[in-house]
Amino acid sequence: MRNWEAFVRDRLQLPAHAPMREARIVRELAAQLEDFYREALARGASESEADAHACAQIGDWSQLSRDVATADRANTQPRMERIADTVTELGQTRGGGVTMFADFLHDMRYAARQLVKTPAFTIVAILTLALGIGATSAIFSVVNTVLLRPLPYPDAERLVRVHEIVPQYGLFSVAPATFLDWRQQNSVFEHVAAYNSGSTTIAGAEGPERVPSASVSWDLFELLKVKPLLGRTFTAQEGTPANQTVAIVSYGAWQRRFGGDRSVLERPVNLNGTSSTIIGVMPPDFYFPSRTTEIWTPLAFNPANATRGGHFLGVIARTKAGVAIESANTEMKTISERLAVQYPQQSANESATVVQLLENIVGDIRPALLTLLAAVGIVVLIACANVANLLLVRASVREKEIAIRAALGAGRRRLCLQMLAESVVLAVAGGTLGLLLAYLAIPAIKSLSAASIPRIADLSIDITVLAFVTGVSLLAGLIFGLAPMWHASRTTLGHVLKEGGRTSSSAAGRWVRNTLLVAEVGLSIVLLVGATLLLRSFAKLTSVDPGFHPERVLTFQVSLPNTAYPEPHNQAAFFSTLLEKLDAQPDVASAGMVQTLPMRGDYVLSVTFEGRPAPPPNMEPSANYRVVSPNYFDALGVPLLRGRVFNNQDTEASLQVAVVDQAFVDRHFPNENPLGRKIDIGNGGAGVNEIVGVVANVHHEGLDRKPQPTMYVPYRQDIFSSMWIMARTSGNPTRLAGSVRQVMREIDPALPAFRMGPLTDAVTESIAERRFSMLLLTVFAGIAVFLAAVGLYGVVAYTVTQRTQEIGLRMAIGAAPSDVLRMVVGDGLKLATIGMVLGIAAALVLARVIKSMLFDVTPFDAASYGVTAMVLLAVAALACYVPARRAMRVDPLVALRQE
Amino acid sequence: MMFSAELKKGSTEMLVLSLIEERPRHGYEIGKLIEQRSGGRLKFALPTLYPTLLRLENRGWIKGRWVEKAGERERCYYRLTPEGRRILDEQHKTWIAYVAAVNDVMGTGRA
Repeated sequence: MRNWEAFVRDRLQLPAHAPMREARIVRELAAQLEDFYREALARGASESEADAHACAQIGDWSQLSRDVATADRANTQPRMERIADTVTELGQTRGGGVTMFADFLHDMRYAARQLVKTPAFTIVAILTLALGIGATSAIFSVVNTVLLRPLPYPDAERLVRVHEIVPQYGLFSVAPATFLDWRQQNSVFEHVAAYNSGSTTIAGAEGPERVPSASVSWDLFELLKVKPLLGRTFTAQEGTPANQTVAIVSYGAWQRRFGGDRSVLERPVNLNGTSSTIIGVMPPDFYFPSRTTEIWTPLAFNPANATRGGHFLGVIARTKAGVAIESANTEMKTISERLAVQYPQQSANESATVVQLLENIVGDIRPALLTLLAAVGIVVLIACANVANLLLVRASVREKEIAIRAALGAGRRRLCLQMLAESVVLAVAGGTLGLLLAYLAIPAIKSLSAASIPRIADLSIDITVLAFVTGVSLLAGLIFGLAPMWHASRTTLGHVLKEGGRTSSSAAGRWVRNTLLVAEVGLSIVLLVGATLLLRSFAKLTSVDPGFHPERVLTFQVSLPNTAYPEPHNQAAFFSTLLEKLDAQPDVASAGMVQTLPMRGDYVLSVTFEGRPAPPPNMEPSANYRVVSPNYFDALGVPLLRGRVFNNQDTEASLQVAVVDQAFVDRHFPNENPLGRKIDIGNGGAGVNEIVGVVANVHHEGLDRKPQPTMYVPYRQDIFSSMWIMARTSGNPTRLAGSVRQVMREIDPALPAFRMGPLTDAVTESIAERRFSMLLLTVFAGIAVFLAAVGLYGVVAYTVTQRTQEIGLRMAIGAAPSDVLRMVVGDGLKLATIGMVLGIAAALVLARVIKSMLFDVTPFDAASYGVTAMVLLAVAALACYVPARRAMRVDPLVALRQE
Repeated sequence: MMFSAELKKGSTEMLVLSLIEERPRHGYEIGKLIEQRSGGRLKFALPTLYPTLLRLENRGWIKGRWVEKAGERERCYYRLTPEGRRILDEQHKTWIAYVAAVNDVMGTGRA
């Protein structure tokens, strides 16, 4: 006897019914047909006569489908049905557009129902999309926050930085006299302001504290067009050297230090040992020049004796409305070059350049972020290819359904739209989940990139990101929806019926699926190669010897106010007491001191050599300059190569000495003995320094830069009021913090030790940006390979299902399970290999894009390509092996009986 | 003698309701009973009868339940709901009145 339920289910079309309800109707109709069949048998009919009798009971299945649907309308999906019906009715009276909309709603609902019917397919497709779209959304939100969003000042696009260009150093800070000339002579800017960031000691209830601060031109706030929340900003009068007793505080500082008390205005506070008045509080979202700046004081210098040789100012300007940045640039160059001619001794060959403020802040990170965005774009493409493949497999399984719907009168366009509806539903679901993933990833990205990416603290998902995700999702839906649409448009009733209702896998369909798979593998190879290159770079970078031992060293900064320590000998006395007391601590092995910490900022000075012809002004060679205590080399573990390091006899009264490093010797004394040679350092001091020792190189500018020539002088011979102290201990350096603060209190209770932390932090920070790019690209490559593996698995598994009979036949005529395994895995690996070869070719072309992100690895590094290929082949073999095992277990008898 | 579809259409619902008034019946049985009791003059094909059952059930006049009786396959048996009983009474009265009126108009001689 025929399976009547299957008979009915194949013929009755109830697209608007819930599956449960549909099943009930099918079951009852089947029961009744069976009654007709049995009755005919009972009357003495033959089986085939009875069957024909029962089948004849229902002549017009589509009429029955319509009648049942009408009679049972109450049981169709309630709300959507009602809306669609209403719209359809409207459409019948008012024209075609609304009907199309009704069709669309109907298609979406049908699509959602079809998807719910096949949960495994749907979950895999949605997760695939969510991974791709989630990664893209996360990176786009970074790009949006960092590169696209304007700076938080009104008309921020007109804000620019103006840099000096100094022949030896390139882009450089600006000298005060130059700044004053710029301000006076330019015609392109509304305002030009200078600032100098640093830190200020503020005396509070819990003792002194050092906070980030900036001295700024009095009209800076006017330039930025930001009004204070409370009080006022500086006046022109306050921008003169005689009136340095006012300050403006940030909203955060006002809340934290003054409890948000409005009476803070006009109240005296002790800043750097001087009584000052707070005249204003800035609004909560204001920051300049850095997010942590808490205090602004007026910047003032006497125009009569402003220096042209000392470069330490940042200069910011607002272009006049309608002035293009190029014309501003041209004019500033002209002015600077004129000044260079006017003051040949201090400014020879100097020039200037104008850069948009936003570009100045984020320009360096732009290539890395755009590379990452391209990488996640590839991940989305792979996800699309994957889902397209899944949909194709699904479409060929559903060929019969599609053919019947075509036979029932659904036009080709309508069928395509229904297929598209399914893709759109998947895309929307995947996009929504992806957005959620991105949202969850934001805290991780923030903490991962805090040290390396400017503006990342503002990272959030805003309307731009939402629009982007919507666009990407729909575009993805369209891309992967094309494949099944193409398939549906080719499906014809005759074709399917000729195949006896068995699902077909036409040659063209197989070709598309295989092409998609090859593309997927190829794309994932590109990412994997990129990630491997970055990983190898990073491994090489972290194995670079920095030239010192940062482990177990605690560092902190101490700044002496001019009021309490006006003279060099006061300052020297303080530091020497501090170092002595630290050295006396039982857990301190060695305490040293330097004015600029390695890897955190540079300090470069010009140098000339006694006995050699003087180079033209401003063309002198330059070198890193470090003012250090005798124990510095010991505390940092920098080995002495020749001569001696400093000792306590190197004082302001003794012979001026210097120690240089090997890079300095290589550059300036390649074939000479440097010891005893005299150098003239451009530090403003008189006389020359005799080289007394040579030490090993230190990577002062970061692990990825070649060590530059460096000269060291003893701190007593060129005292700085702000120094970094470093104390080497035998255990965890942070445990030293308590004793350090105790020592500081003993010497001067008004002085804070600030920016305290292990020296290893400085090394970690210097490679943070690379670590960020490397980690993210690795994650994306991982996702890509995973998706490609899922795709490969899907296609191989589908092929195995399609070929079950063939495999059964092969085994029936003597093929061993291992032959089957070899055949299935071999077919899959063939595709993977083609993809791999194409992918490696593409990677060879694309790898130069990340050249600037590599360290000591060429974009064509053979080892990276080899490793990548092996990883991918292994993953591919695994993805093929799982379905191949199933193929091995095919029972020939069962397989052949399936027909 | 066969009746036109138009003529049958108005009475299908009433016939179904009255047949399950005595006891619950399944769909095939209802179709067969109509045929038998009318001596083959009334025949409702499955494509007519089944949507009617669905419609009546959705209106809450009848209720179907899957029951497995001894020695038989599981079938959906329909019974009359109180609402269905009320409707049937009403329809029955209307029908009697209608037939009487038609007869009166046409004269007993033709009846």
